[in-house]
Parts: sequence; C-alpha cells; structure tokens
Amino acid sequence: MNLLLCVITPFLGAALVAAVARLGTWQAAAAAAGVTLAAGAWLAPLVGGTFQGTTLIERYTWMPREGLDLTFRLDGFGLLFALMILGIGLLVILYARWYFSPQDRLGRFYTGMMLFMGSMLGVVLSENLIQLLIFWELTSLSSFLLISYWQQRTEARQGARMALTVTGMGGLALLGGILLLGQITGSYDLSVVLAAGDQVRAHPLYLPTLLLILLGAFTKSAQFPFHFWLPNAMAAPTPVSAYLHSATMVKAGVFLLARLFPTLSGTPEWTWIVSLTGLTTLLIGAVFALFKHDLKGLLAYSTISHLGLITLLFGLGTPLAALAGVFHIINHATFKASLFMAAGIIDHETGTRDMRRINGMWGVMPYTATLAMVAAAAMAGVPLFNGFLSKEMFFTETLGTVAQLRFGWLLPLTAIVAGIFAVAYSLRFIHDVFFNGAPIDLPRTPHEPSRWMRLPVEVLVALCLLVGMLPALTVEPLLAIAARGVLQGPLPPHSIAIWHGFTPALWMSLIALTGGVLVYEGRRPLFALAARLEGRLEARRPYDWLVAGVFGVARWVTVRLDLASLQRMLFLFVLSALALGMAGFWSAPMPLTGAGPLLPFDPVSLLVALGLAACTASVVVLHRSRLIALILLGAVGLIVSLIFAKFSAPDLALTQLSVEVVTIVLLLLALYFLPQSTPAESSRPRQVRDLLLALAAGGGNAALAWAVLTRPAESIADWFLTHSLPGGGGANVVNVILVDFRGFDTLGEITVLALAGLGIYAMLDGLRLPAPAADAQGRAWDPDAHPLIMASLVRLLLPLALLVAVYILLRGHQLPGGGFIAGLVTAVALIMQYLANGVAWTRARLPANLHPLIAAGLLIATMTGLGSLALGYPFLTSSFVHFHWALVGDFELASAMAFDLGVYLVVVGATLLILIHLGLVHDLSRPPAEEPR
Amino acid sequence: MPFNSANLLPILPEIAILITAAVVLVVDLYLKEKDKGVNHVLALIGLLVAFVLTGLVGGGERVLAFDGNVVRDLMSDLLKAGALIVSALTLVYARPWLKDRNLLAGEFYVLSLCAVLGMLVMISANTFLTLYLGLELLALSLYALVAFDRDSKLGSEAAMKYFVLGALGSGLLLYGISMIYGATGSIELGAVARAVAEQGSGNKVLVFGVAFLVIGIGFKFGAVPFHMWVPDIYEGAPTPVAMFLGSAPKIAAFAMIVRLLVEGLNALHTDWQGMLAILAVLSIGLGNVAAIAQSNIKRMFGYSTISHVGFIFLGLLAGSTQGYASAMFYTLTYALMAAGAFGILTILSREGFDAQNLEDLKGLNERDPWYAAMMALLMFSAAGVPPTVGFMGKLLVLEAVVRVDMVWLALVAVFFSIIGAFYYLRVVKFIYFDQPTTAVPIVTTGGVRAAMTVNGLAILFLGLFPAALLGLCQAAFP
Repeated sequence: MNLLLCVITPFLGAALVAAVARLGTWQAAAAAAGVTLAAGAWLAPLVGGTFQGTTLIERYTWMPREGLDLTFRLDGFGLLFALMILGIGLLVILYARWYFSPQDRLGRFYTGMMLFMGSMLGVVLSENLIQLLIFWELTSLSSFLLISYWQQRTEARQGARMALTVTGMGGLALLGGILLLGQITGSYDLSVVLAAGDQVRAHPLYLPTLLLILLGAFTKSAQFPFHFWLPNAMAAPTPVSAYLHSATMVKAGVFLLARLFPTLSGTPEWTWIVSLTGLTTLLIGAVFALFKHDLKGLLAYSTISHLGLITLLFGLGTPLAALAGVFHIINHATFKASLFMAAGIIDHETGTRDMRRINGMWGVMPYTATLAMVAAAAMAGVPLFNGFLSKEMFFTETLGTVAQLRFGWLLPLTAIVAGIFAVAYSLRFIHDVFFNGAPIDLPRTPHEPSRWMRLPVEVLVALCLLVGMLPALTVEPLLAIAARGVLQGPLPPHSIAIWHGFTPALWMSLIALTGGVLVYEGRRPLFALAARLEGRLEARRPYDWLVAGVFGVARWVTVRLDLASLQRMLFLFVLSALALGMAGFWSAPMPLTGAGPLLPFDPVSLLVALGLAACTASVVVLHRSRLIALILLGAVGLIVSLIFAKFSAPDLALTQLSVEVVTIVLLLLALYFLPQSTPAESSRPRQVRDLLLALAAGGGNAALAWAVLTRPAESIADWFLTHSLPGGGGANVVNVILVDFRGFDTLGEITVLALAGLGIYAMLDGLRLPAPAADAQGRAWDPDAHPLIMASLVRLLLPLALLVAVYILLRGHQLPGGGFIAGLVTAVALIMQYLANGVAWTRARLPANLHPLIAAGLLIATMTGLGSLALGYPFLTSSFVHFHWALVGDFELASAMAFDLGVYLVVVGATLLILIHLGLVHDLSRPPAEEPR
Repeated sequence: MPFNSANLLPILPEIAILITAAVVLVVDLYLKEKDKGVNHVLALIGLLVAFVLTGLVGGGERVLAFDGNVVRDLMSDLLKAGALIVSALTLVYARPWLKDRNLLAGEFYVLSLCAVLGMLVMISANTFLTLYLGLELLALSLYALVAFDRDSKLGSEAAMKYFVLGALGSGLLLYGISMIYGATGSIELGAVARAVAEQGSGNKVLVFGVAFLVIGIGFKFGAVPFHMWVPDIYEGAPTPVAMFLGSAPKIAAFAMIVRLLVEGLNALHTDWQGMLAILAVLSIGLGNVAAIAQSNIKRMFGYSTISHVGFIFLGLLAGSTQGYASAMFYTLTYALMAAGAFGILTILSREGFDAQNLEDLKGLNERDPWYAAMMALLMFSAAGVPPTVGFMGKLLVLEAVVRVDMVWLALVAVFFSIIGAFYYLRVVKFIYFDQPTTAVPIVTTGGVRAAMTVNGLAILFLGLFPAALLGLCQAAFP
C-alpha cells in the first residue's frame, strides 16, 4: 500500500496546494513541503528492507483481462531515485519560495511541481512498463506546465513546446519499444523482463526494440542529436531547471537505460549505439558549454555533457561501468542542482544571466561565491569533491576499451578532451562571475541573498563535500544497493576512495585539470572563433528543418490529394475500387468461365445485344444534345423490354414499356426548362482518361458478371413456380409475388410512391420557373400548341386505353398484367389528354384533385392486409375462391386482386399528380396559349 | 406464420426513437417560433427513453428476432448505449448554435432522430437487408443534414458531394453483398458464415464480394483511399452536423464492419485482413500527414478522423477477440472525443460567427479556462497522450496488433502517431499560449457546460480506469 500512497500523495497534494495557494505564498510552500514529506513518510518504513536487498512489489488490479495491473516496485535503484526526487524536491520548494517575486503566482508553480513529483515517483517506482510509460508521459506534460510558467515570454513558450514535442514523441517511440518488449517476453512486468535478458537479445525483434527504447531514453535525457531542447527549456524559472534539468526529469532517460540494462545491454548493437551517442553528447556538450555567455546556458550544456558521460558508461556495458554510471547520477544531481540554484541566486540578485556583464561578485556575495565554487569544483572533477570520484571511475573504464577495440584508444582520448573542456567551463563559471573585474551595467544592485535561499545550496554543497571526502561512510551503502538494483546481480569488486595511487586514471584527471586551465587561459581566440560560428552550429536547426520538412510534405500531400473537385474524387474512388478488385483477381486467379451450361446462341439475340450496345454508346457520345440523348435513352429502354420478352418475362416487358413511356414524358417536361445542349466541360485528355477508366471498370464488371452467370447456381425460381398456383391462386408468378408472397414490400412501395407524388406536388405547387420564350435559334414556339387532329385522335384513344387498362388489371393474377402496369397505362392515357388538349380542357372534364384517389388506393391495400389480420391470419394473407358464372365460365376471385386494385389506384394517382404538376409549371411559366376549340 | 410480439422486445429502443421522431414531426407543426426548444427537449427525452430501454432489454443471452433479421447481444447493447449517449451530447451542444442562426427547426431533430434510428438498426442488424436499411436511413438523413443550412453554398456543395460519393459507396457495398448472397444463398449472417466456412476462399466470387464489401465499408468509415468526402463534408457541413456526423455514426459503422466481416465472413479473415491493413496504413499515414497542413480546424478534424479510423481498422484486422474488443473500445471513446472537440467549436461560435479556423482557438484559456482545459484534455487524448483514454485506446489496439505478430504495422502506426501528435499539440499551444483575437466573451448555457464537463472528464476518467468499459467490450467478444 505504501508505494501506491507514495505515488498518489503528490497528485492529491497538487489539488491541496492549489486550494491552499489562495491563502498566501507561505501557506502554498508549506503545503507543498508537507506533501513532499508525507510522500517520503510512506516510503520511510520500507527503506530498511530495501537496504537488506529485498525487492518490494505491490500489485493492484487495473485491467485484469488485459493482464495489466498497477504494479509498483521498490528496489535499491528505485529508492535512490525516489530519495533524490523527494530530497531535492524539498530543497527546491524551499528555494522557490524566495526565488519568485511576489507578483508570480506561486500556487501554479507548486501545483505543477507536485504533479511532476508524482509523475517522476511513478516512473521510478513502476514495476509495470506500460504504467512506467504513462508516468513518463506525465512527466513530459507536467514539465510542460512548469517550463511554460512564465507563459507571457515567447522563449518560454517555444522552449516548453519544443521540450514537449521532442520528449512526447520520444515517449510514443518508447511505447512502441515497450510493446515489442512485452511481445518478446510475454509480460510487461519488469521482474519478468529483467530476467529474460538472453531471450530478448537473441530475438529477431531485438534491434527495433532497442532502437525504439533508446529513442525514448535519448530524447528524454537530451542526448545528441536530440539535445537541443534542453538549452531552450532554460527559459523555465531556475527552480524548475534545478529540479527538472539537473536532478530528475532528464535523469529519467538514463534511469530507463539503467533499468533495462540487464535486459538490453551486452550486445554489439547496444555498445555501439549507446556508447557512441554518449561519447558524442559528452564532447559536444562540454565544448558548447564553454562558449555560452548565458549562465544557465552553460549549465544546460554541461548537463548535456554529463548525461552523455552517464550514457557512455552504461553503453560500455561492464558491471563496473554501470556502477560508475549510478554513482555519477548521484553526484551530478547534487552538484548540478546546487549550481543551478546558485545561478538562480545570481540571476535573482543581479537581474541578468549574461556572464559578460556579471563580474566580480566575490566582493558582493562571498558566501554564495564559496558555495558555487565548491559545486563547480565538483563539476570539474577536482579531487576531494564528489565529481572527482565518479570521473576517475569513468576514466578507468574508458581505458578498458583500449585493448578490446581497434580504435579503442580514441575513447580515453575523447574522454580527456571532454574533461579538459569540463574544467575550462567550470573555471569560466567561477572566474567570470565572481572575479574578472567589475560588473557591467547590472539591472539591479546585488547583495547576499536571504538566509533561507542559501540553505538548500548549503545542504547540497555539504553533500558534495561529504561524499567527496568520505565516500565509504556516506554514499557507499546507498550506491551498493542501487547498483545491485541496476545489475540485478552481485556487485563487481570495486573500491571508492580518494586515493588509489598513481593510476592511469589519476594521470588523466591531472591532464584534464591542467589542460582545462590552459584552454581557459587561451579562451579569447576561441571565443572569437565561436562568435563567428554562432548560429551555424545551432543544434535546433535540424529540428526546425525537420518541422519545416514535415510541414512541406503535409502541404505537398494536401495539394496533391486534397481534391476539391467531385470529378477527381470520383476518378480516384473508381480507380481505387478497380485496383482493389484487380488485387482480388490477381491474388487468386481463376478461370473466367464457369462450369454452368450456356444458353443456345441465336442471331436475333446478337442483333438485339448489338442494338443495345450501339444505343448506349450513342447516348454517351451524344449526351450533350439533350433531346437526342433522351430519345436514344428511350430506345435503350425499349430494347430492354424486348430482351425481357425474349426471356419469357412478358410482365416485366410490359412494365418496362409503360415505365419507359412515363419516364420519357417526365423527362421531356423537365427538358423544356433546360438549354438544348450541355456545354463541354472536360478537356480532351481528361475525356480519354475517363473513357479508359470507364472501360476498365465496366470491363471488370462485365467479366465478373460473366464469371458469376456462367457458374451453376441454384435458382429460387422453382420454389415460386411450384407454390404460385396452390399458395397464391395465380398462374402469373410475377403478379403473385408482387401481391401475395411479397405483398408487404409492395404495400411499402406504393406508400413510397404516394409520398413521392405528394412531395413533388408540394414542391411544384405554385412554382414559377423562367422558361425560354423561344428555342435556341430564336424561333418562337408554335402558336398552335394543341393541333386539332392530334387532340381528336387522342380523345378517341382514351376509352380504348382505359379498356386495355381494366383488362390488364383483371387478368393480372393469371396472365401477364396486374395493377402496376394497368395503372401506368391509365396514367399515360390520361396524360395524353393533357398534352394534346391542354390543361384547361382536361381539367374541365377530369377531377383535378388526385389526393382522394391515392388515399383510396392505399386504404384498399391496407384494408386487405388488415382483413386477414382480423380473421386471425398474419397480415396480408391472401385467400381466393372460384365462382362458376354462366357464359363466362370459371372465375376466380382472390383477395389479392383487391390489393392489386389498391396498387392500381395509387399508381394512377401518384403518376398523374407528378406529371400534371410538372405540366402546370409550364403553363404558369408562360403566357396562356390559345385553347383548342 | 403468425406474428409473435416477443419479436418487438429487442427493438424497443428503435421503436422509442421512431415514435419520438414521429412525435417531433407532428408537434413541430403546432409550435410557435419561440417554442421550438420543445423539439429539443422531446428529442432528448426520446434518447433517454431509448437508453433506458436499451438497459432494460439488454444483457444476457443473444436473442434473434424477426426470423433472424434482428439480433440483440452484448455488443449491440453496448454500441446502442454508446451511440445514444454520444448523440444526446451532440444535440445538447448543437442547440445554442442552431438557435443563434434561426435554424432551431423541427426538421433538424427529426433528421437527427432518423439518423439515430438508422444507427440503431445497423447495430441490431443480423441480415444484409436490415443492415443496409439502417445504413441508408442513416446516410439519407445525413445527406439532408449536411445541406441543412440552405443559405450556405459550401454546405450544399458538401451535401452534393457526399450524396454522389455516398451513392457510389453504397452501390459498391450492395455489389459486394449481392456477390456474397450469390455465393452463399443467404442474406442472414449466421447462414452466410456457415456457408463461407464450408467453401472457404476456394470460391473466388466470395473473395470479390469481400473486396467490394471492404470498399463500401471503407467509404462509410472514410478510410483512405475512399476518404475524399471526409474533409470536404466536415468543412462544408454546419458545425453541429459535422459533429453529429463525425461521432455517433462511427459507432454504427463499427457495428457494420463487425457484423459483416467478423460475424459473417470470419472464415475469409486472411483475405480481408490484407485489405484492411492497406486501408489502415494509408489512413493513418495520410490522415496524420495531411492534418498538419490544415488551417481550418474542422478540416483538420476530418483528417484526424481518417487517421483514427486507421487505428480502428488495426484492431479489427488483428482478428483476435482482443483486437475486436480494443477496436470497440477505441471506437466508443473516439466518438466521445470527437463529439467533445466539435462541441468546443460550437461553444466558440456565436451569432454571425463560426469558429472553424485554428486561429479561433487562440487564447481560449484566457477567455474560459475551464473549456480550455477540457479542449486540452480532448486534444491530448486524440494525440494519444496518457493518462487520457486516447492513449489507452492506442495502447490496446497496438498491443493487439503486436500480439498477432504484425509488428511492422504497429511500428508504422506509432511512427505516424508521433507525427500526428504534432498538430494536436499545436491546438494546445493556440489555446494556452496565444492572445485571444477577440474580446467577445464566451456565452454558454448551463446545460452545455455540464455536458462538456462530463464529456471532458470522461476522457480522463476512462483513461485512468478503463477496466469497466474494456470489460464490457471484451464481454461482447467472448
């Protein structure tokens, strides 16, 4: 329970601090300190056990089915980090109380700090790697809040964004790595992963796993080439830098390296990638640090350099190097935090961080100067200070490679060069700030800071000294358990002492010290050189380029693929569909023609098919002249009805025929309002392109249809054929299907038809469209709109047509026909009266209100259905009886016929409604023409 | 065969929505202009009733009704509940926007309710026919909704494009369905599954059928290369419609893909897995990359949707129960996220002004810190940053993919997510770091604020405690 509470306390504390901050700054600081102490208190009872070498694991169910539990782990290494986080955190809280000015909102700072502390504790105390990653990302988020604390400053915003972008993306890479690790080992539990080192290293996925995890660790720990975000994050308030950028957050990366050391290390890949990265970072950081005029900039690059050193140590892969790495983590945290705090004091007192202006502070604040000098000496690796001890171990380790590798001697050489620069920049920090003449034009008059502001620095510097002089008494036990936690095994023989005799490492230290002094002496020409190169070696350049590049790619993609034009969308759509279809074909080639029997072939069919193809093609070619295209379309419809007839489907042929007539009339009515031809919009190449695509897609469809049709299929026709007469009482199967087997569908369809008619009526009622007064050539319309001969003939035709309709309706159940066709025939007959005789004439003789007709049709159809329901049968069950009439013979009366009557009425009503009102638009749109006599 | 009224039990939620739509349609005729809010209340009540009914008839064994046309199982329960909740949220967000523009008409609610009905029918479907009915009801309602603001040229253009492409997409889906029907002789998914298992991928007609089904599904989801409509429609449609269209229908589309591919054509898994993999990679890639270049935030959301669809496909193509459950979790939480993100846009809009450029989010923190925090949460979630639910969704999906040894897919997804994180963070930057471009205060109603609070905090809460929802998702795929 304790570990969970330890991690949660700061999160809950954040809310507390935010609430308390309203009372005042002191209260906020006290609350933050209290929360930190409370978190520490949960940990305290466990310290004893950890020092005895036990690893404590706490498990809480979270997502049991996914095998993800909230699991915490405390071993020596975790404890070391937890202590650093809490201890330095406490000091920073105290320090920050004095650092910020009264107008800064301290509540926000402390809240962010608590969130960060909780996240960081979560990282170091997690047993589950996914959980570790969650906390890892949380550190990025909370550090974003802290770095952007002074959000009114541009550089703070940029720095925070950059830090978040780089570390957040690194976190996603880490997610990938952890997923792979989980896949390899079968578990996300650190205990399992740590024990599965051999399995992981031998796995084919080892390299991607390693790369992804290293990407996460390197971005977090500001390793080359991702180091640029750290100096930019220096826009943060100094307490934040002291905490995040020296002791904790940037250490999360090396923490991860150390944590997974037993699993991932020991391969050439690990050694090469990790140690080369570390080495480069070490050198670059050290060199750049010397040339930074900004106090915090110098410290930032120095931090980068030291992080490189630690990375390099883990990269070497030997247990002793790992131990040295852990040791340097401790030392660096103490001296760098105190240096940042000292820098903060100087910034706070002088109002600037420019080392060219801050000079001679020794005279003003000798006490602070002493503290800073001790810490800087530790950073330079001067004997008697803690930095010396770990650095000496580092030098020893670098010498180990000389014999192993061909160019192994390069490593100690680079280490010495980096050491020289480290001494030089430490010297610069001391000499420039505290001596070197008088201060230049400072914004404020500096003096010693308050007692309490110095206290945290004092504590840390005391630690530097104690560890530096009495390592065996102070740091050794903690280091031992921490290193054991890292190595997951026995410690290598080692001795941490100030004096080991005149070893090669000591000589290297001495060379570095002397060299450093010499370099600093000769700094003026170097600075001049650096000033000339300024900006050219700016490390954020690649980042900026990368961002610009991504933007460029994004724009390019958008321009190419973000199509506003529907035609191009359709082109792409059809092309993609075609490609996917083709892929299906090529992946599994099959014979195009199936095994089914083919129908006999006759010349008439061929002729019909050719005619159909010719008409269709002509429609496409001539579609710009609308009238011609429409006529051709009518021809296509007629041929189709012929084809229906050929396949013995007279019902369909009849329906197609009547529908065709009605549609063409409808289209003609609409055509009146449109120009005679469609303008050409596509260019010739585009037409060719579209043609090719259409041919390909159509060809594909045809091939598929051919393939499907030539395969033997079980037809459902037989069922209907056998059941039509006994079940529905009709010999005309199509009609029985419509009114009986699928009666429900038909009821739905006529309802839709009725609604469509009403809808079109609602839209057209009273509509006036500007219609052309003359045709395209400017000729007036024929004044004789209703020629007498035609009018008379059509009037004669009406009774005949109606008779045919009734005939078709009545015979429908047994022979080709039915309500639908009859309805269409009637409608055509009536509409012809309108066309030939004019609206006024027809209206005088026919009821204009068609709504009752439609309603009656629907009512009859529904009543037929309800009737069967009332008699205890399912809805729309049909029954039939046979009568024997004299003269006429046997006559069947089926309830389905009533239903058919309903269909008939609705079709007539709706079709007429639509056509008449389309026609009325014409009349409303132009001056009334002469009526026929 | 006499009708058994027990058939009606599983579709009680659908019936409730249908009745509500009908009631709103009629009541609206008698409402004065100032009382149009009654429609809103009625619609919400209807959604609530449907939600309660979903809970009442839900749970327990799988039930088939209407001769196997309709199914009620744990998956349909959860998806229906999700669709109803998200739809209710979008209606709440939409109201002030519509009111400001005199668009608070009954038609909006009728169309929305019809769309919800379509979604529920899709979710309940157990035959191709029912599924298609639901799909078309949804699509037709959406076409009309996109053109809802008749004075907007952009809206009409978007609706036209949506309609033409949608008809093509539906056509291809039907084409695929017809082939599968031809090969299996049934439209009922259970029977199809049995027939397909018997024939396997030996029957090439089936393979083609699957290809066209995937195209249709890809279109409905907006997966690359069938995505072209998404950015245009998101940009052109009125914000509330884009919000509605971008959230709950994804849940219904998920039901569609599961019913068709997983329940119906599981035996052809290897065939559709490859196709989905292509669509997923293209979607994640293009969606994330193109989103960066957008300055219109609605368009950016459009591309963002495309990339999220890729993730949903990733979970599905894994083909394991874990993958399906992860994809379901992802879909549900994504719908919530999308509703919230668009909701913020409606909140930022006011009479005569539509928030739709990234710039319009500038300085939101100064104008309203609470909404700023909610939007930041939503954006972090969309980027997949822990501890929000977006991270959980990505994690679960990626894990499922890695488990079935498709490591490269996971790596590609991670790579593009890293790029994708960029544009979400840019939104956060605008919210927190930039100065507001306008001094007009943000006016919202208490209801909107409450809904947004619930929405935003749910994103956080589900990320911290995903087990409950995930458990439900996993129970749906035993």
